[in-house]
Amino acid sequence: MNRPYLSWIAVSLAAASLIRVAALAAAEPPIVLADPADDDRGPGNYKYPTDPAYKAKSFDLRKVEVIDKGDDVEFRVTLGAAIEDPWNSKDWDGNGFSLQFVQIYVDTDHQKGGGFTEALPGLGGVRFADDEAWDRVVLISPQGKTRLSAELRAKAGAMRGAAIVPKSTRASGKSLIAIVKKSDLGQINSKWGWQAVVQSNEGFPVGKDLLTRPVNETAGPHRFGGGNDGDCDPQVIDILAGKAKGEASEAKAQYDALAYTCGSKFARLPMVYPGQ
Amino acid sequence: MSQPSPARNHLSRQAFFGRAGLCLLAAVWLTRPTDASADITKFELDGKIFTKQLYQNDDSQGLMTLGNPFWPDKISGHNGVGTEFELGIRGHVSSLVEAGARLSSRFGERWQDWWESGASDFSGVENTSGDSAGMNRASYMKLRGTYVQITPQAYGIDWLRIGSSDFSMFNPWTIGKVRYIDRDNGRGYFASGHFGSNEAFQYHIGLIAMPKLFVGPSWSTGLGDPMLTQAFWSRDWAYAASLRWRVNDHTTVRAVADLTQDLEVDKNDPDAVGSNNPNCLDKLGNTIAGCAPDHAVDMKTRYASFNGTFDIDQEIGETIRIQGLIGYFQQQIDPTLAGNGVALNQGVFPLVYKDAHDFAGTLRLTATDPFDIGLTLQGEYFNIGSEWNSIFGARRESDVLLTEGLVGGGGQLPTLNLANEFIDFDDDWVESCIGWHGGTGLLTLDRGDTQIKAEYTFITYNTNTVSLNAKKGDVDHPRDVDKIYPDFLHTDGFTDTALYDYANTSDRGRDPRSVYRRNQARYTNIGVLNLHHQFMVGRGLDLDAKAKYINDVDYRSLTTTEDDYHGNIYQARVKLSTPIADGWKVGLIGQLDQWNELNRKGTLELGYGDDVTKKAMVALQTSVLFAGVKLSYYLEHIDKWQDRQRDGNQYWNIWRSKATVEAAW
Repeated sequence: MNRPYLSWIAVSLAAASLIRVAALAAAEPPIVLADPADDDRGPGNYKYPTDPAYKAKSFDLRKVEVIDKGDDVEFRVTLGAAIEDPWNSKDWDGNGFSLQFVQIYVDTDHQKGGGFTEALPGLGGVRFADDEAWDRVVLISPQGKTRLSAELRAKAGAMRGAAIVPKSTRASGKSLIAIVKKSDLGQINSKWGWQAVVQSNEGFPVGKDLLTRPVNETAGPHRFGGGNDGDCDPQVIDILAGKAKGEASEAKAQYDALAYTCGSKFARLPMVYPGQ
Repeated sequence: MSQPSPARNHLSRQAFFGRAGLCLLAAVWLTRPTDASADITKFELDGKIFTKQLYQNDDSQGLMTLGNPFWPDKISGHNGVGTEFELGIRGHVSSLVEAGARLSSRFGERWQDWWESGASDFSGVENTSGDSAGMNRASYMKLRGTYVQITPQAYGIDWLRIGSSDFSMFNPWTIGKVRYIDRDNGRGYFASGHFGSNEAFQYHIGLIAMPKLFVGPSWSTGLGDPMLTQAFWSRDWAYAASLRWRVNDHTTVRAVADLTQDLEVDKNDPDAVGSNNPNCLDKLGNTIAGCAPDHAVDMKTRYASFNGTFDIDQEIGETIRIQGLIGYFQQQIDPTLAGNGVALNQGVFPLVYKDAHDFAGTLRLTATDPFDIGLTLQGEYFNIGSEWNSIFGARRESDVLLTEGLVGGGGQLPTLNLANEFIDFDDDWVESCIGWHGGTGLLTLDRGDTQIKAEYTFITYNTNTVSLNAKKGDVDHPRDVDKIYPDFLHTDGFTDTALYDYANTSDRGRDPRSVYRRNQARYTNIGVLNLHHQFMVGRGLDLDAKAKYINDVDYRSLTTTEDDYHGNIYQARVKLSTPIADGWKVGLIGQLDQWNELNRKGTLELGYGDDVTKKAMVALQTSVLFAGVKLSYYLEHIDKWQDRQRDGNQYWNIWRSKATVEAAW
């Protein structure tokens, strides 16, 4: 009996397998960016909110891994404490954790004139250098895709097109894991620059803030402390700094980068270029 | 009195506007925002309007599927739409002080309640006056959540808080985080601080005003108790403390404890109102020794409880985590001040009615992806004493065990004080795990787009009245559920949380609080398989599938095999969901249940029956987020057939829906 469709299926499967093997073979080695422990204090003096849900070291960035998975890219962000879900995220269509919100900024050209020097709304008085302007940002949030995309539409303006909502986001141990379509991010290049900003998820954000929790002068039950009651301060808790090798000196590099003066000096979010 | 002339009137108007204009300019100038930002940033205002609509094909009216289980509350029912509003205020009093409050309307007014003033005239009978339905139907604003938090800048003290707290600094075994609807009703005095290098030690202490309506015998600290003529609750306090020591980056230990004390007036004190001895004379007219008025009233303890836990969290390397907890519970009841609700209230009572003490322990091991293939392994051993009770512990929205348990969803809590109330049909349920002894194994395979979870749990029960290994001739020790151990009246049958009614008029099965049975020799096997997969179709199509099997066996009395319960519960559930636009998600859900229960319920005298329950549910779910507003809608249809051997068969054909609109800013 002539069954040409069987041959067609076999050929298709073989071709698909070859394409997948080729894609995996072409995959870049993982990018690993480390950050020292105990620098989860923004510019050096920030304090956690006083509500017990914000456990010590739960915003302390330790490591960012970017892993090429063929058609997808996996982002794995490791923090200093086990990721918990004190606000039952499944009740609000969330991703299995409640507190952390990590934004990973990517500079794909390292040139002046392209990308954004301002961060997404809600990070306060921070800027990227002109030649470190970001082109993509990956949002690792406990909020579901529906909420994230709605927030971006409402608040991100022109940055919306550069923001990537992962296919899936989950927590595992001390790590947040997000899977991003490579077609959204682009083929990873060793010359790209990276910055990971650790913030806290705020389901009822203030004003135009994009799901971020403010930093006030005094820590409150659900407000970080040590900053300014306005939004001239950098509203970030931990970032990558220096060469992102995890060396102790990178804590000082972070504090220096995030130093600010209201009305005259923005804090800077430095890109890390591991391939340079 | 003469009428003003038009001319005079005209001139007056000119003069008035001239002066008013100058005043307005001056006012604008004086109140110009010269440094407005400094003042404005001292306030944070959050507003929220929440509207809910319930509809069901029955004739009950109200806004909540299950409201107050005891008192008629005028808000429970399955048909109605209503709205609440709340305003949250946070103020930075100074750089060292934050204060806050929440103004929230009472939920319960239906949109049809146009003119309800809040009055409850006419003996509570609803009529056309607009003054009949009471405050629960008038959306009055209530002050909630007031607090002042001070940062004293003193060594060892991070903050002092006076006012509301959700008690989340303690744990579900001692004083639990307050359920959402009560989240800032709890008030007290709190302090927190740290000491040691790198904040190694952190403490929380709290003096908490005990809620007069749930911590204690008969869910009260005296009110409504038949043993008391004049309940006294204004000096009832709980005392709680937690001390955490972060030994190093990998080891944390914590001790948490609480003590509750419900005081009542000593009626033998001659100074007490309604004293038994107002004149310090006995029935024969003789002076009672030691009795003398002193214008001070003595107190006696009606009920006191202690719950204490010690837990350790140990990480070994990058992947292994060990979490262990041991706990001790003790309670004392004064039977002269606390009525026996086990005997008087058909076993519906939140305590064992006697002085009691017991232990509890859990040990959980987690290996997070040890083979680097996305496979996480977890195992847990649990052993909770038969008389343990976290009377002030978490009542819902917490979970102390790894297993999904029998009723699923909400988890397990070691208390008889569960709160499966003030909920809607789509809310999760919690069950009591008092007396549970067993273990859980859980495998989670995470492969990017696909996640598989497989659970197996075995439970036997410290509440069994006879060993599962009992041999013929062994003596059974029936539990006294008439006077000591509350059985919550309904002890048998798999619990139908989807079609539950408090009074059990529809044979809904066991009360989730019913952990004691007169005769019990029970064990349970639970197997659960969950699959999640995301298909890259359109914006991503999520498939969630679940299969669950429960094998529940209770030999009950040793005197016969005629009462042996064998329950085989099968559940299968599938959900497909996908975003169809930015901020718009839709889902389709289907679930099938079959419960084969031999000797499901009955008595030795009347006999038992073999019952089969079948359920089929389909549901449509959608939510839209648009410009800060969230709209959601859930429509469900349930067919339920109950084929009962001893009683008549039953059939349900339920259509019900829930819609919500939430705008927060």
